Amino acid sequence: MAKHTGRGIAAIEYPTGMNQNGDPSQCWIKVKPDGRIDVFAGTADIGNGSKTIQSQIVAETIGVPYDWITYDNSNTDSSPVCTGTFASRATFVAGKAAEKAALQVKQKILEIAGKELEIDPTDLEIVDGEVVAKGAPQTKLSVGDVAAAATWGHGELITGTGAQLKPYAAIIDPETGEVDLPPHSAISYAACSAEVEVDDETGEVRVVRLQQCYDVGRAMNPTLVEGQIEGGAMMGLGLGVLENCYPYYPSVEHRGGAFGSYLAPGMEDMPQIDTIMIENPSADGPYGAKGIGEMANNPQPPAIAAAVHDAIGVWITELPITPERVLRALEAKTEPRREGKKVVFDGELSVNAVSKGGITFEVPA
Amino acid sequence: MNLTVNGITHGVDGRELATLLDVLREDIGVTGPKAGCHQGGCGACTVLVDGEPRRSCLLPAGYADGTEITTVEGLGTPEKLAPIQQAFVHHYAAQCGFCTSGMMLAAHAYIDRGGTDDHDAIQQALGGHVCRCTGYSKIIDAVAAAARGDSFDLTTTAVGKYTTMATGGGE
Repeated sequence: MAKHTGRGIAAIEYPTGMNQNGDPSQCWIKVKPDGRIDVFAGTADIGNGSKTIQSQIVAETIGVPYDWITYDNSNTDSSPVCTGTFASRATFVAGKAAEKAALQVKQKILEIAGKELEIDPTDLEIVDGEVVAKGAPQTKLSVGDVAAAATWGHGELITGTGAQLKPYAAIIDPETGEVDLPPHSAISYAACSAEVEVDDETGEVRVVRLQQCYDVGRAMNPTLVEGQIEGGAMMGLGLGVLENCYPYYPSVEHRGGAFGSYLAPGMEDMPQIDTIMIENPSADGPYGAKGIGEMANNPQPPAIAAAVHDAIGVWITELPITPERVLRALEAKTEPRREGKKVVFDGELSVNAVSKGGITFEVPA
Repeated sequence: MNLTVNGITHGVDGRELATLLDVLREDIGVTGPKAGCHQGGCGACTVLVDGEPRRSCLLPAGYADGTEITTVEGLGTPEKLAPIQQAFVHHYAAQCGFCTSGMMLAAHAYIDRGGTDDHDAIQQALGGHVCRCTGYSKIIDAVAAAARGDSFDLTTTAVGKYTTMATGGGE
């Protein structure tokens, strides 16, 4: 009876947004007479930071300071449609709508500034809240003065609207299901290695370290991205060893009556987590962004399962990897054997190392 | 009974056996303490009773008669945040925010008792508080920073630090 250590690795790919399904987000922006910017969008910020990110996108696109932005997603009467915060789409889809709306606002500001300065708008740019003549930075007008001129002089309201919608994809080959559009606008990639300690007497699995690498497209606000990744690591650890969506063993009458009977990871369950972000820009996301929300909790469970196999030589094929499952698997442990090209580990899981150049897992009946 | 909440004394009658959480939220209208599990398991309802962190969902209000109760509303003001609040803002230690008031009060008490920036000690002190969003590391960073007495320029936290995406999105 002893503790065994093991290390495992898993790699994932993850699509961003509900592509091909008609999944719109919209945004509209108006500029107040003092140049401050009101952004209206329907994206619910559930703690992921989408208000911050979309405000950053608008500020960056127009060329004004971040704190000039007021972001209002407070009600569905004033805000246009956003289908929601899911599918890792809040930055990728809704952020793109914000970028498009901001580009219209920028264009309008340049047009009115052009009239005020009597310079062609294409020779102007907006830098940190000021419209500046390209190559002649002493010729400038603040965005606040432009907005005031629009309001009091030109009788105009500076607004912009933006909508992002991946069109429906039509099936062009009913045999294969091939569609006429690329399958996804952005695919993210990630890998995770897990180090575990498995007690073969109690069956307890303790995750002692997670090393993760995520392709995030563009980390517009790295601290917020880190927050998504660290939170995802905790959720992945929970899925791997603690949390059971159906914790009612052996039947529903035995469901937990107390908060503590659902094992959400606590502070002391958290291992050392090291994270690397890779910026591999997407073509369609705002500033190259991809989604990070959901994939952040995907690679940990398989990495943990592989680490448990490395530690005690059995594959656990159901999550979470509870002490009971570990002990039952150890009891049933048999030496792996070869069946032709397949390696069969313990009667539950085979690894076929030669199919189509990759590895596939098969669970025999 | 008399409950002094964030320095203001409230006379509340006939609610001695209700939980302190319910009296604070429903009778007095202080909604910083959150009703998470209602079983003492999650920490979201934590308030300070005479400076000690207590699960207000488990405490009959009558037990708090005559005490000084501090909720997150009493830690600081929007204009002058308490050090622990500044640290949470600076380190992005909140996502959805539901656990945050309880976390900050427990952390405030931990630092008040002389708690240090030691990672394991902070884990011990806040171990009974559940957060489903952050993965805890930024919370521990924030508590450690406040325990060290770090000072922050919050005007640069959300605003100045990451505004220039054109130069690579980093600091």
